[in-house]
Amino acid sequence: MNPPNRHSNDTLGLQLPARPPFLDVATGFVESSVRALGMGREEALKLRLAAEEIFSYLTSHVRPAEPVDIRAVNGLYYGRVEFRFSVAALNMGALNITATGQFESDEALAEMGLVIASRTVDRLRITEESRGRICLAVEKEKTYPPSPDRTPPRAPFRDGLTIQRTPDAETLKQYAGEVARGRADSPGPAFFDYPGKVVDMVAAGDNEVIAAVDGAGRVAGGILFRFLTERIVEIVGPHVFDPSREQEIAEALLDAAIAAVARTRAIGLVSLTGLPEPVRSQFEPLGSLAFFRDEGPALARPAWYRFLHEDPGCPVWTNGALKEFLEREYGRLFLARDIREVQDLGETLKGSSIFSAEIRREWSEVVLRPLWPGDDLAANVERHIRFLREEGFLNLLFEIDLGVSWQAPLVPVLLGRRFSPGMIIPFAGQADLVVFQYHETRP
Amino acid sequence: MKPDLDRLVPACVREFEPYIPSKPDRELQKLYGCRRLIRLNNNENPLGPPPGAQEVIRRFPPPRGAVYPSGDSYDLRRELAAFHGIDPDQVIVGNGANEVITFVIKAFCEPGDNIVTADRTFAVYEWVAVFSGIEARVVPLKEGRFDDGAMLERIDGATKVIFLCNPNNPTGTYWSRDTLTAFLDAVGGRQIVVVDEAYFEFVEAEDYPDGISLTRDYPNLVVFRTFSKMYGIAGLRIGYLAGDLKVVDMIRRTCVVYSVNTIAQEAALACLRDDTGHVGRTRDMVRQSRDYLKEEMGGMGLPVTSGEGNFLIVKLPGSDTLAYRKLMHEGVMIRPMTGFRYPNHIRVTLAGLEAMEAFAAALKKILA
Repeated sequence: MNPPNRHSNDTLGLQLPARPPFLDVATGFVESSVRALGMGREEALKLRLAAEEIFSYLTSHVRPAEPVDIRAVNGLYYGRVEFRFSVAALNMGALNITATGQFESDEALAEMGLVIASRTVDRLRITEESRGRICLAVEKEKTYPPSPDRTPPRAPFRDGLTIQRTPDAETLKQYAGEVARGRADSPGPAFFDYPGKVVDMVAAGDNEVIAAVDGAGRVAGGILFRFLTERIVEIVGPHVFDPSREQEIAEALLDAAIAAVARTRAIGLVSLTGLPEPVRSQFEPLGSLAFFRDEGPALARPAWYRFLHEDPGCPVWTNGALKEFLEREYGRLFLARDIREVQDLGETLKGSSIFSAEIRREWSEVVLRPLWPGDDLAANVERHIRFLREEGFLNLLFEIDLGVSWQAPLVPVLLGRRFSPGMIIPFAGQADLVVFQYHETRP
Repeated sequence: MKPDLDRLVPACVREFEPYIPSKPDRELQKLYGCRRLIRLNNNENPLGPPPGAQEVIRRFPPPRGAVYPSGDSYDLRRELAAFHGIDPDQVIVGNGANEVITFVIKAFCEPGDNIVTADRTFAVYEWVAVFSGIEARVVPLKEGRFDDGAMLERIDGATKVIFLCNPNNPTGTYWSRDTLTAFLDAVGGRQIVVVDEAYFEFVEAEDYPDGISLTRDYPNLVVFRTFSKMYGIAGLRIGYLAGDLKVVDMIRRTCVVYSVNTIAQEAALACLRDDTGHVGRTRDMVRQSRDYLKEEMGGMGLPVTSGEGNFLIVKLPGSDTLAYRKLMHEGVMIRPMTGFRYPNHIRVTLAGLEAMEAFAAALKKILA
């Protein structure tokens, strides 16, 4: 498996105090840096706009006058701008994507805070790198031309099959084009519609593709895979274009992908975008999430999983309200877990909670993750639901890490606010993750 | 202030995922809710050590725990040398064969070099190379065997060591004497060729080579042996390598002396001196269990790969890692083979018949 983005060394940095007079310096740096790192004018301007909102917000609400590190990173197929700063517990709440500093003034919320910064970019993510040290990152993908040819080729596939671990750029483009041609209206990744982007994603090193090529050199299938978390590899595919050899090609591609990751730090493979029938017996169904769309009924998003090694077992922390679900799912999946119930014994909680928000505009989706505990969990969840729905997001997910005991009190809060548990992803966090999904009506 | 681990730790170490050994039986039994646990995952010998070695373990005087062992396993090396007809300085004893793998890679490789081995073989050669910053070139097996031609093709000027596992774990396939010597002739002394013979004592095939006897003609050949498998002292951790005097002298420079404890050294001596037929008894048990399991698996329609060694591999209709968890609930522990790049296969130790029957019954139950 390739190391994470091998272009990540293409990084430019600036440190400056979070004070209003330096706003132009910060935004000018962001725009000129991402341009120098290869982003187009339009994308650079959008990152500049996001940077303007974020820097202004930091100067007014989060850490006025404190130092902020800004980095512009070349991801090859995207540009990323990172803001790193330290926060004190007192102002942590202001980092929620829905926060403005004036929580009582709802009218102003939609036009303030980090929500507005997210509007011009593809992804916004807040993570805590060490205690009190925050990284707020925004990403904007480059614009690529769509696949030029959508007419299915008529030449039949030939005998012979070669598995190519590192296909060249033209093979990758053929692969992406074939996937795009067969892609139904699904929440699957749209990047296959842009073969040039797939080439850059592989060249960047954080995605890998294995291709199956027939005797005449035509791409008969492929599989894309990448680290989704520290220990989980996501597979997209295997895609097979020669229906007469579906079983053979799908199995060969999956075997090759497994061989590539079997001796890495990965503990499991997950498929979130559909798994072809011939290889399903090698996976375990985790469950299904709904994919809500502007029009038409929601689509099902089934997820599949397989361990690469022995399940080492682990303790998991939860609230009693989720125990039945966990017992049922762990029994169904034959996972060895020591379920430990967290109880509220009247201990005092202080300060504002903070949730990290990963915004995926392409899917009209936001994934919320608890970053910091506080005494306002219910109010914070409600605020996020309200503002993200007002912002037009159709898919709200909330991930609880069962390896982190303080997250357990969020369970009854979520269950009481139209979130329901959709699936467990083993070892996707410090322990297993439970993915909750928000339903407009009672699930 | 916290250390800056990104700066201090080399990338090859930082990015390496440590191997997590299985938990102790009591913890596993608690986790999986099983009353007993039959371990068929590590190719251990259920007969235990030969009687002489058992006596050494039983009679070890506790006060000797305070005294350092022989730092270079002096007596054991002399006895091994006599056993193989070589000089004691041609032998290095390590804390299990795993330790001598590390010695060899440290002695011959530096960043920029590479090793060549197979993709579906014992993982530790590859692991040690990778976390030492050495490229591991893994060549696909051909029909379940080490592919001599393809391995020769992967050798270049930066290749320092070639690791062969003979017989191979997990396929049980082996190179005959002719194949091995032809390969050594083709390498021509330009690289060190390591032949790991961890399962040497289990092999009954007549054309199977004794690697140590070949070191006279091939001074670039280094052979590994262990006391963990046939001799049943895996818990004491002791193995050794043998090779040409000058080559071993180089390897010795990277050795950590005193890494092999006194009980292990003395028990290994007793293993070598065994005259009670331990090897024969173990071979009989393995043969009987192999025949039984092949028939049982055949009856269930499950393909079996069975060669030399006290193990075989079974192809399942679905995920091996799921089968592992289901079998654990039944109190049977096998080795899922995805980590060996054999997805949907499990490796089963050929132990006593009772354990084999328990395994077959559990497998039938979980596949029903």
